[in-house]
Amino acid sequence: MIPFAQYVQGLAGDDDLVHLDGPFDVPVDVLAGEALRASGPALQFERSNGVDLVSGVFSGADLMQQRDAQPWSRLSLGLGLDPDATLVDLLERISDLGPGAVDPDPTYTGQSASGTDADVQEVQLPQGEADTWPALTLGVASVATADGTHWAPIHGSVVSGEKLRVRVPDSLQSLLSDDATITITLGVPPAAITAAYLLAVTERVDTPIQSCGVASAVPLVPTNGGLVPSTTEIVVETKITDRQPDFRSDRREAWEYVTKSESLSLSVERVLTTDDPVVPVTPVGRPLADDLQLTGLTTAAALYHRVNNYWGISPVEWILVPAEAELGVCFVASDVLYAGFEWQLANILFSFSSLFDTVVIVDEDVPPQDFGRVLADIWLKAHPARDWIFSDPDAPAATRPRYRRDGETGSRVYVNAAWDPRWEDTYIAPRVTFENSFPSVVRDTALALWNEETTS
Amino acid sequence: MAANSFRDYLDLLAADGWIRTFEESVSWDLEASAVTMLANVRDGPIPFFQSIAGLETETKLVGDPYRGPRSRPWDHFARALGFSAGLSGRTYYDRVIDRLHTPTEPRLVDRQDAPCKTTIRTGGDVDLLSFPWPYIHEGDGGRYSNLHTIVAPDPDTEWGRWSSHRMMLHDDSQASLLLLAGEQVPNRYYYDYEPRDEPMPIAVVIGAEPTVECTADMWIPSGRSEAAFAGGLKNGPVTLVECETSDLYVPATAELVLEGHVRPADRLDEGPFGDYFGYMNGPRRSMPVFEVDAITHRREPRLPFCVEGTGVGYGQNSSSTLRVAAAGPDATVGLRAAGFDVEMAVPWQFTSRTVWVISTDCPYPGYLHELANFIFTTWGMLHIDFFVFVDADVDPHNPRAVLSTIALDADPDADFHQFGVERMPKVPLNIYQTPDEKGSADVGTSKAKTAKAYIDATTDGDPKESTSAAETRKQAQERLVEAGLDAGRFDRLDEREGESR
Repeated sequence: MIPFAQYVQGLAGDDDLVHLDGPFDVPVDVLAGEALRASGPALQFERSNGVDLVSGVFSGADLMQQRDAQPWSRLSLGLGLDPDATLVDLLERISDLGPGAVDPDPTYTGQSASGTDADVQEVQLPQGEADTWPALTLGVASVATADGTHWAPIHGSVVSGEKLRVRVPDSLQSLLSDDATITITLGVPPAAITAAYLLAVTERVDTPIQSCGVASAVPLVPTNGGLVPSTTEIVVETKITDRQPDFRSDRREAWEYVTKSESLSLSVERVLTTDDPVVPVTPVGRPLADDLQLTGLTTAAALYHRVNNYWGISPVEWILVPAEAELGVCFVASDVLYAGFEWQLANILFSFSSLFDTVVIVDEDVPPQDFGRVLADIWLKAHPARDWIFSDPDAPAATRPRYRRDGETGSRVYVNAAWDPRWEDTYIAPRVTFENSFPSVVRDTALALWNEETTS
Repeated sequence: MAANSFRDYLDLLAADGWIRTFEESVSWDLEASAVTMLANVRDGPIPFFQSIAGLETETKLVGDPYRGPRSRPWDHFARALGFSAGLSGRTYYDRVIDRLHTPTEPRLVDRQDAPCKTTIRTGGDVDLLSFPWPYIHEGDGGRYSNLHTIVAPDPDTEWGRWSSHRMMLHDDSQASLLLLAGEQVPNRYYYDYEPRDEPMPIAVVIGAEPTVECTADMWIPSGRSEAAFAGGLKNGPVTLVECETSDLYVPATAELVLEGHVRPADRLDEGPFGDYFGYMNGPRRSMPVFEVDAITHRREPRLPFCVEGTGVGYGQNSSSTLRVAAAGPDATVGLRAAGFDVEMAVPWQFTSRTVWVISTDCPYPGYLHELANFIFTTWGMLHIDFFVFVDADVDPHNPRAVLSTIALDADPDADFHQFGVERMPKVPLNIYQTPDEKGSADVGTSKAKTAKAYIDATTDGDPKESTSAAETRKQAQERLVEAGLDAGRFDRLDEREGESR
């Protein structure tokens, strides 16, 4: 699959990336956040040090507005699909990057990043509005064990030219010896960072990438921290200096809502860059941030794969854990196979993910790109007394919401916004649509009239 | 300056490039509504149909003239009220609320000065079916008028009570009206005129000026007059003229007025109809009969209609726009007047008559229960099933911000509240009740009762993510606009937007 730099060029070629010339009086994370709020294009921050930053490359248009592009259009392109690919195509492509691939066949090539003089501070990672130090975001950590190479998301701060403080999944940390080498890669192919997120949100970081589909999709090169994508823009080799540093950042990348994370202090051993590196950044904590989208889509892919392989059939059309709802609600479109299936479906989703306390079920014919219809059907089809179903108040609080952070138990809720399979067909109200509400001859006439006028 | 007539309003839209005129003959039989649905779905200009196929008429059809642009549905109304386009939702609400605080009594004009009296037909000359009432959706029970203002008598106000109820045409002088008990005008019929076996005089005003259309969609309390609020909204008096066959008054600049009476103890079929839920709903029911005694109209009357069912999901149409542009500011004023610390009350943009979002302070425990109780027993009784309460700094016009706060702050254990489970009245237009549950109750409401619910998505003082200072956000937006991003997507020109999350 395509290298990161080529992916960024592709976005620019599709007019889905805008260049901003430095210097930047406004913090990069604020600019990136405002562009995302406005469903704007990805941004490329051109800087005098030769290291460009890009934001929004793993995010996209807000689902709350009807647009030609979807929040997953850019990532689809990055994973080798058409930008118009369906959500399900993307979810399946994401799943294919993870464990369970049949005989992955890695390819090995030379390292694109070859400049070795750079100091990590010379990269000038952006300092966010609320940050004390420059922030490293959207990194992929690579470590080598006897089983192979393991990848996971990583983020943190550049404390000095030789010192980083980072957060990694604790499942990665548990694989490490005290002085282990961690290679941090910035600007990896979209398939690689997606795989790292998928491994983190499915708690499969202990699975070596040699057993994952991503090994066949991304050319690799060895480093002191194991295999990394050979086209990586910046490679930072580090050693662990403190496994329990006295450091706790308030900043959380979104994958940390799914899996526990730990802090590490690292010393920088070597920095490799390409000639004109371009590095992805995400405005952590802001609406629709890249890390939020990556976490939502990889979580949805994992759930979609598990649910549709559970009952011997595949009743679920799609699953979304949208960034627009800050990952706090799971939306699922499904064939409601029989009375009570909706209860089964909602509760198996609660079993498979602790991210959310709320599940919304819509009919299988509701397309995910028509999220406006989802946001209507919740309130139209679901009977306010009968179809908002609350569990006993004994469930642990989900990890994403802000309430009940004290460990107190409570209820979960699912909203059944699908037709009741027990209803007679005559009870089912037809939708008002252009196709349903007019015979074909009238539709043809209307289209002709409209097009005549629009082209005149 | 505010638009003084429906024609003024159409001229404003045309000047802004928002009217698309169709010179070809278009049939009232589904064709006009099919083209209008395309316009609604595509967020395109308002269709104006110059010529009606198969009918000798000078009447023009206008499809969903009040539908606003999707990004700012209130924009056309802002222009109609004399404001600039491009206001944020907050600023638009502030300005409308200011106007609602200064009602202006209407001004009476003589018949000869009333454009709506250019042509007058009474008695045997009444010919309803000479007008191109549209057949809107295949499967509707008949041809409908559904974008009009009904003027009914009110003992408490000189100018009568204004409201809106869909009307199905039956023949040259009869139509059935969807009158649902619980609303003011239907209550007047069911519990006052009909028990006395008296016909209730009404007038159906089609193509009234925009502020009249607005106030018909508002819940004006008893003893207050929609006419005065319409004047307040336009910053000048609405002109009224007396009817030909009753002592009711109607807006003088209206395009078309049907005068008549609702017969007691008489019913005609009504529905099914693809109404605001976005689904065809039935069953066909018996509804009160409107008998037309006189028709008056302007030269070449413009007859507006709404393609109901297209104002859900991402779509907008006239009725969904009226909810957000008129009913929302009115509800905000009403709740504040009732003593609640409400910042804004705004219909949910994806289903504007079923869910509302209210941003509010919560000054004391139990406040939200009292607020919900007040609404569900007054203007939110029949149509609205859900309220979502959010912090005062969450913009209810921003559905992403609202959805986020529901996801993060509404605890299923403590913040979802069902009211009056299976005890509350409901309109039969819903799609979650079975036909048996809807029944055919005499006064319009469903036979089966239902529930209402509210969601407390306020933060309860829990920590929330910080946002950048308004000034920094504004600078960022300006920089992005300089770089070529569409300025229309940003709220930087509105100082108040910086206050919201």
